[in-house]
Amino acid sequence: MAATGTMQLSDFLENQPGTTFRRLYQQPSSAFAIFRRMLPHMAKTFVMALLYMPQPMLLRDLDVWVKPDAKKNRDQALSILRSLHIVQITPPSKDKPQEMSLQTNFKKSLRLALEGGGDHKSFGVPSALPVDPAIDIDFLDRHARRKWEAILHFVVNSVGLSSAAADAGAGPKASVKDLLLAGRLVEYKTVTSEEAEEAKRSGGFKKAGQSALHITQAGFTFLLQEANAQVWTLLLLWLEAAKAADAPGMDSVDMLSFLFMLASLELGRAYDTDALTEPRRNMLPSLVDFGLIYIPRDNPRQYFPTRLATTLTSTAAALRSVSSGFAAATAGPGSSSADVTGLASHSDDKGSIIVETNYRIYAYTSSPLQIAVLALFCRLNMRFAGMVTGRLTRESIRRAIDYGITADQVIHYLTTHAHEQMKRAAAAANRPILPPTVVDQIRLWQLENERMKATPGFLFRDFETQEEYRDLVTYAEETGVLVWKNDGKRLFFVSKYEQLREYLKMVKKK
Amino acid sequence: MPRAIRGVLIECEPAIKAIIVMLDRANNNFIVEDLDDTHLVVQESMLTLLKQQLDTELKGTQLPDELLDDSE
Repeated sequence: MAATGTMQLSDFLENQPGTTFRRLYQQPSSAFAIFRRMLPHMAKTFVMALLYMPQPMLLRDLDVWVKPDAKKNRDQALSILRSLHIVQITPPSKDKPQEMSLQTNFKKSLRLALEGGGDHKSFGVPSALPVDPAIDIDFLDRHARRKWEAILHFVVNSVGLSSAAADAGAGPKASVKDLLLAGRLVEYKTVTSEEAEEAKRSGGFKKAGQSALHITQAGFTFLLQEANAQVWTLLLLWLEAAKAADAPGMDSVDMLSFLFMLASLELGRAYDTDALTEPRRNMLPSLVDFGLIYIPRDNPRQYFPTRLATTLTSTAAALRSVSSGFAAATAGPGSSSADVTGLASHSDDKGSIIVETNYRIYAYTSSPLQIAVLALFCRLNMRFAGMVTGRLTRESIRRAIDYGITADQVIHYLTTHAHEQMKRAAAAANRPILPPTVVDQIRLWQLENERMKATPGFLFRDFETQEEYRDLVTYAEETGVLVWKNDGKRLFFVSKYEQLREYLKMVKKK
Repeated sequence: MPRAIRGVLIECEPAIKAIIVMLDRANNNFIVEDLDDTHLVVQESMLTLLKQQLDTELKGTQLPDELLDDSE
């Protein structure tokens, strides 16, 4: 059954009204960030071409630029540009061909961003005060990592093995915990007697009837995301919470625009808090809690963006990959002092899991968190100093799927954390790392439990003519929203509705 | 003018679909549109309930886990 994902920046932006975009685009840093982060290559090409065009361009001229077989890409690019309110296209009419042009604010801001100049301060104002030499990039990375890992630990610990929870020490601030709860990444659930029994068997301790924090489907998806997406997920939760609370001075558009500005700052440099507006200064404490910025205790007039902030809008997997993100989550707070060389250094940590063809698992680890993660999808039965053993069973995989973990996620986790010995043996014999039987069986177990695939969306029906049907279904297919169709019955199902509605209106006007 | 109806597209095996249709008949009104042997559209608000009922229905069809002999 389809797992509910966590919200992404693109989903959030798509739901914003046009006025939000017009305000966002007043800031060159926001326009630039959206250009950099949100657009596919073809859309970027269009924007760059339009940027210095004095007149609107004829829509049909676009066909000259794009090869006929890339029509699908073109339509997708255009629909993204329109949904982000970057490009305006005039409605079709008989006496005038359709024209396209860049949104005025966006055009002005992007030009400013590229050429420099102007007095917009939207790329931050460096602090003129002397900087403490102890605050270097290493220091900032350490700060960011400590804060961010506290958050990840909190989510992992919510799996409920109290042995792990006891080791976690100081978690994130209460406000951050509330955000995670509000975003349903974790939730309070009453422990059933069955689960208490299960916890006892896997070495943990839970009392029936007690209410305990539990990871949710969304929470697990969150854990497996790369750091950049995780940060955005949390920030969007924050924006939503601020919007819902309707706190004075916390304007979500301004907040978003501030985040885009942070993303444009330079790592390792001090910036001036005095140059910020009052509401933005009020945002700083929360951003410190997330690990996006650092403010020296003795000098609150300076703030330093960390790597988490400066990579917000870059498309590259900035901090670390999924697997090393997991490693960070599972490394345990005690061990993180050992790898202080920067956030990216995690990728070289060693795998520890051996999987046998008989579904037995041996993990050379003593990290309570890694054990907690394993307990999500294995039946653990022995624990030694520095090693646990367990077994993958139908039941354990079923439970994992109930948590919202997919078979592919389990397989990916086991592969990336495979013990060196397994990797070496596999490479020597030219085989895949995990035994194929085990991989297949995990997938089969998932299929057994996933009896139906659910896709929310809209069903289109009652077409009067075949042409009308064909026309709309082709458009749906080209924009990539079509999920299912039946030409005979003139029925089709789409995942999104808005663009089709626009299209229908356009056709009607003709 | 075509109509658009909000719902959730379910894709499943014919056997599962038959069970859903049977559950629907017991006066539950899940189904918005029966599309074909492997597809149907159900109401979004009823999805969780449907999943629950389907799970209950199928509970008896699975063999228990093979006995584990790894008490090593």
